[in-house]
Amino acid sequence: MAELGLSYKKDENFGEWYRQVLLRADMIGYTDISGCYIIRHWAMKIWENMKAFFEAETDEMEIESCTYPLFVTRDSLEREKSHIEGFAPEVAWVTEAGKSELKVPVAIRPTSEAIMYPDFSKRIRSHLDLPYKQNQWVNVVRWESNPTPFIRSKEFLWQEGHTAFATKEEADHEVQEMLELYRKIYEEYLAVPVVKGQKTELEKFAGALYTTSVEAFIPNAGRGIQGATSHCLGQNFAKMFDVKFENEMQEKAMVWQNSWAYTTRTIGVMVMVHGDDRGLVMPPKVATLQAIVIPVIYRDVDTEAILEACRKTVVTLKKAGFRVKADLSRTSTPGQKYWHWEMKGVPLRIEIGQRDLDKNQVRFVRRDNSEKVDIPLNNNLVERVKDTLDRIQQNMFDVARERRDACIQVARTWEEFMEALNQKKMILAPWCDEMDVEEDVKKRTKGEGEMGAAKSLCTPFEQPELPEGTLCFASGKPARKWTYWGRTY
Amino acid sequence: MVVSLRLPSLSSLFSPSISRRYPSVLRRRHHLRPPPSSASFSAQSTAPATDVVDSRKSNQKVQDGGVTPRSQDFNAWYLDVIANAELADYGPVRGTMVIRPYGYAIWEAIQDYLNVKFKETGHSNMYFPQLIPYSFIEKEASHVEGFSPELALVTIGGGKELEEKLVVRPTSETIVNHMFTQWIHSYRDLPLMVNQWANVTRWEMRTKPFVRTLEFLWQEGHTAHATPEEAEKEAIQMIDVYTKFAYEEAAIPVIAGRKSKVETFAGAVRTYTIEAMMGDRKALQAGTSHNLGQNFSRAFGTLFTDESGQRQHVWQTSWAVSTRFVGGIIMTHGDDTGLMLPPKIAPIQVVIVPIWKKEDDKAGVLNAASSVKDALHTAGIKVKLDDTDQRTPGWKFNFWEMKGVPLRIEIGPRDVSSQSVVVCRRDVPGKQGKVFGISMEPSILEAYIKDKLDEIQSSLLGQATSFRDGNIVDVSSYDELKVAISQGKWARGPWSASDKDELKVKEETGATIRCFPFDQPHGIKTCLMTSNPAEEVAIFAKSY
Repeated sequence: MAELGLSYKKDENFGEWYRQVLLRADMIGYTDISGCYIIRHWAMKIWENMKAFFEAETDEMEIESCTYPLFVTRDSLEREKSHIEGFAPEVAWVTEAGKSELKVPVAIRPTSEAIMYPDFSKRIRSHLDLPYKQNQWVNVVRWESNPTPFIRSKEFLWQEGHTAFATKEEADHEVQEMLELYRKIYEEYLAVPVVKGQKTELEKFAGALYTTSVEAFIPNAGRGIQGATSHCLGQNFAKMFDVKFENEMQEKAMVWQNSWAYTTRTIGVMVMVHGDDRGLVMPPKVATLQAIVIPVIYRDVDTEAILEACRKTVVTLKKAGFRVKADLSRTSTPGQKYWHWEMKGVPLRIEIGQRDLDKNQVRFVRRDNSEKVDIPLNNNLVERVKDTLDRIQQNMFDVARERRDACIQVARTWEEFMEALNQKKMILAPWCDEMDVEEDVKKRTKGEGEMGAAKSLCTPFEQPELPEGTLCFASGKPARKWTYWGRTY
Repeated sequence: MVVSLRLPSLSSLFSPSISRRYPSVLRRRHHLRPPPSSASFSAQSTAPATDVVDSRKSNQKVQDGGVTPRSQDFNAWYLDVIANAELADYGPVRGTMVIRPYGYAIWEAIQDYLNVKFKETGHSNMYFPQLIPYSFIEKEASHVEGFSPELALVTIGGGKELEEKLVVRPTSETIVNHMFTQWIHSYRDLPLMVNQWANVTRWEMRTKPFVRTLEFLWQEGHTAHATPEEAEKEAIQMIDVYTKFAYEEAAIPVIAGRKSKVETFAGAVRTYTIEAMMGDRKALQAGTSHNLGQNFSRAFGTLFTDESGQRQHVWQTSWAVSTRFVGGIIMTHGDDTGLMLPPKIAPIQVVIVPIWKKEDDKAGVLNAASSVKDALHTAGIKVKLDDTDQRTPGWKFNFWEMKGVPLRIEIGPRDVSSQSVVVCRRDVPGKQGKVFGISMEPSILEAYIKDKLDEIQSSLLGQATSFRDGNIVDVSSYDELKVAISQGKWARGPWSASDKDELKVKEETGATIRCFPFDQPHGIKTCLMTSNPAEEVAIFAKSY
């Protein structure tokens, strides 16, 4: 165990701080290929905890698990034109296999529409086969030139759901249902506030009819980040891949399709939002470990009795379903242990020392606000742990929301917009909803600073009032909606 | 009759695309088409009452969705079962496979069991990248030699030719070692025990769903230890976990043992294996656990400082089970009618088929069926109620039999009035497997069903075990071995001959050494090939 603290401060050098937290908390490993990372146990378990929630929900919705192949033929991939245009620059091609050159290279999936829909076309025959709902948990590869662990990597893990319906209404309804699940993952599990909304024409998924998303904001970076997306694909892919069904009148019709996904990016967002200068802070509901029990042993105390109390505490809490362990190693001091488990972001520390044994109590120390409380041991330890973890979860969300809200700035003119952008804000602005105007905004902000161009994040479903005569902040034309803007990851 | 029965299967032999589409077309559109044969059951709405009664009393087979009898053509049966039971389909890139929900649920049952065992034995899950620099693969000489004919290489990424070719992982020992080198410093960091659930790619020329595909899913465990004894103990521990899973969950009586030098994993010191006998008596390697010694740690410089301050190379293991195991389950337990799943890994353990003739009876029957379903579901049994009125009961019986569901519950109007159900076992065909008058009372029914599921589980293992034992022949000479192999059996005999002799057996008979079983007979033995003293018996067989 290399006993090193963080040499970077979150507020001073955010990028380096982030990389250091991931390494010191044993979440990531680097490889010789830039942009390909190892997801270590400490992060993998967070992914598994989210998956347990999400799978229970999708089971309830009768969405079936399955796995489609990793490889896709060039022909399939190029079937939907705007789709391949969106993905072409990021595709990795296998050109050699089994010691010889392939006649036709095959691509590693950047996403699976082009792999799954030829099969949908075979499976779906009549209205009785609909809705048809499939989900898979797999890896995908996109050749990113500017990688950041979890946030943007060449290979990442995700779930991708693909569904087909007889009517647009059903598809529309499911888009919202899935988006709500993603909101829950972010807000109720990762304790990260998000905005639900629709992507602009320019930012929607390549080939979709429309894209909805949950958008988070990283105050330290002054950047928005797309948290997860739920797309209505309309009938674009159905046409290209010939996904037809016979309706109740025995006429042929095209299906309406959706696809929706969230990725290991969630973990990166969690780290960026909650971490502090002492390291990672994990929200209890997804935490790899929810509580760490540490014996406080100094000279002249009954060591064995303390260790025994620690073991008993772990057994009690494990039985109650908590993810908990005791750090009983003799080579580190209690202080070193506190430091170590704070770095790893365990939400609750339970200290047991001689003083506690004497008073029949334990000490709780919260990772999120460092609050220390002595808890008398009268049979309600389980309840107190549950209660404390709930309060940590809620407090982490409240604090994160407060910080996020402080970053939101309304801008009605270009000057206000630029000023807010330079202050790293998440900007809510009235605009005309025209694609060239958004392209123009990107162009005009590109030269500003080193942070890259601003773009739209989403048009929130919850729209503030837009009085008649309000003008677009960028074009001066009549505004049609309020949309969030900012620099993004 | 016979002709119509054989037609779909025959065409499947010649035209894979038809074989894949035919059953789904039939199933999905049956209600729009005339029944394929007059002897089969017509649609519910027009079904004469006698048809329904017939279906419960006779053991008549319906043609549509039927599979080639297993006894007739094992391979055609296997492919038919995969297609008709909706386990898998072919992907657009040759040799790849779509694992469909019903097949994937079997894989999930394997995952659920093993994941718990891995964690109990001290392993943590994590994820290594899929792409590996080509130079890594070259570091361990025998490893690259073993894998290079099967590697898929990425040479273009982001629209540009890559400076170094990247390998799509065929297995992860190399990248694991690269990382272990950075994570392991002293004996305090050992043992390091990790596992990942991932996909791997091996560019196979001859593929078969689940058994051999270009891409497959697996778990791969990788561990590093301070001593050779610990590594050996770990390798044995994990093959034991696999063995236990095979027997207790999959009802497959595998033979656990050690691979010969020729068959040892590329880069390992010793490979342990579990070998299963399929229904056609070919062997299937169903899981392996490798003691890697210091081969990879030397190639990658994976060192640790021991308690006396000396720098040493770590001792390693790796072990894996893949989606191939699903193929093993299919090929162990099926029969002429189709798939037969052991209750412990069956995605659906009990299917309920409600039966009604008159519209008046429908509500009562469906009500009863649905409360039986709820009671079993609450008791933790994986139950499905097939209440569609698009299909006749007879069609449903055949369909769920073909899908291998261990138990079927039938509920008709008479059962409703007597508050009882009919329970049919998938593994005991016809009347013998059928018991009338089991009470609907939840506590009685639940206990009965659980009991039957246990019985089926052990009965399947029992059948597979006697099949296996009836097809292993003890041989003491090469001639006897040749006879046994030519009869399609496994040959077990003392072996201490050379690698060259082993290859000769392979060339001349097509059989390889599957393993030196852990279970060895006592006494002095002489090698079947050379007549020299032999310490162990080996098992020879043709394999997948």
